[in-house]
Amino acid sequence: MKASPDNMHVLTGSYALDALVAQERTEFERHLQHCPSCQAEVRGLRETAARLAIARSARPPAQMEQRVLAATYRTRQLPPLAGLRLRRDLRQTRLARLFAGWLAAGQSRPDASQPHRSGRGRRNGRSNSWLRSPRLVGAVAAVSVAAAVGLGITQVATQHQLNSAHATSAAIAKVLDAPDARIEATSATAGGAVTVVVSALQREAVVTTSGMPSLSSSRVYQVWVMNSSGARSVGLISSTDHIGQLLASGVRSGDQIGITVEPSGGTSRPTTTPVATVPLTT
Amino acid sequence: MHDMNRPEIRAVRPDPGPAEGEDQDLAFLLAQVSRGDHRAFEAVYAQLAGPVYGVVRQVLRDPAQSEEVAQEVLLEVWRSASRFDPARGSGVAWALTMAHRRAVDRVRSENAGSRREQKVASEAVTEYDDVADTVELSLEGQRARRCLDNLTDLQGESIKLAYYGGYSYPEVAKLLGIALGTVKTRIRDGLIRMRDCMGVMA
Repeated sequence: MKASPDNMHVLTGSYALDALVAQERTEFERHLQHCPSCQAEVRGLRETAARLAIARSARPPAQMEQRVLAATYRTRQLPPLAGLRLRRDLRQTRLARLFAGWLAAGQSRPDASQPHRSGRGRRNGRSNSWLRSPRLVGAVAAVSVAAAVGLGITQVATQHQLNSAHATSAAIAKVLDAPDARIEATSATAGGAVTVVVSALQREAVVTTSGMPSLSSSRVYQVWVMNSSGARSVGLISSTDHIGQLLASGVRSGDQIGITVEPSGGTSRPTTTPVATVPLTT
Repeated sequence: MHDMNRPEIRAVRPDPGPAEGEDQDLAFLLAQVSRGDHRAFEAVYAQLAGPVYGVVRQVLRDPAQSEEVAQEVLLEVWRSASRFDPARGSGVAWALTMAHRRAVDRVRSENAGSRREQKVASEAVTEYDDVADTVELSLEGQRARRCLDNLTDLQGESIKLAYYGGYSYPEVAKLLGIALGTVKTRIRDGLIRMRDCMGVMA
């Protein structure tokens, strides 16, 4: 039974429900590649079929979750297909990666589904097109919340005399949320990751460290804003903190964020070679 | 994005699109999962395990077999998260398409013989509500049920037999005693009507 294109089109529904027999399925899939209107229709009907499944949700056996989660640790993931994600906004990807890094590094266990849900749709009317992407707004909100979480488990010492952790958290969220926020990331020489989100408009940068190697109790990490005229301290990060976060104010394009190992209590100027530097190109 | 050249479509309406609220998150989480994020996968599991297990069980009926297939599907979500392309559909549809197809493949490979044909007659159009351990339905699920109830009898029966029963459309035609062409049309018309119903109410 050789189907004409018209006959083919009527198969969209059966295809979406997996109700074609094997040979017809193959034929239809071949037809689908050259039929944009069929593709569009199949897509909509697939979404519809998914609702049919949702209408039959059932509670899986209790032990299933553990089995599946355990299996993921033994299962190698497939690499992406070439070109699949090329169109994605670079910043978006980096934000997502930052957030992924946050979660991977976090000591606490923020529910991965929670943060971006809470911030959805709060910020409308921004002129920057990339901020209009709901996913990105989600990502930004996620980073903001992650920042707050990070702050909560970090001994933060700033030289800005910020009144409270809350004020710091709000200031950090503001930078992360800035329309011109950019992300720079690097690895520290002895391990650990340093991520800097910088807003040229606000002239502020949020420095986040994760998984830095632990130091002896008499040593700390000190964060600096460095430029040709010298280095000023941003604050200290204890090496026992899995995640550290500081806000650097008054930064300019051309400055560098540097992290050095210093005696506990910190010093007025760097005394060792930085374990990480991040140039701020705004 | 609307293709005005679609033949035979009565009204051009937007697709139901991603489930409001949930699926944007799912797409975001899947991107994290594709980079090996186990914690993000736990959140994905929480969203997908119910519908995946539900639809697989609906088709296969046997709890042990259903669990096995649902596990395979969820592990496949982990394995192939990098292949999920949000431009081509929602994460829920991506995962549930895999789940349903796998369940159907299992059924068809096992029932190459006549056992199924015989069972079919007695089961005919069963009410597919008898699966144990149903969970409280999401709004989305309730909506889908209402939309399904709004179809004509023939549309509804064809769709239930094909999707929940896992029958091919020639099998559906036999079960309902109607012509092949009629079944194809009923299934498509019914699904389009459901899509529009979901879209309008979404």
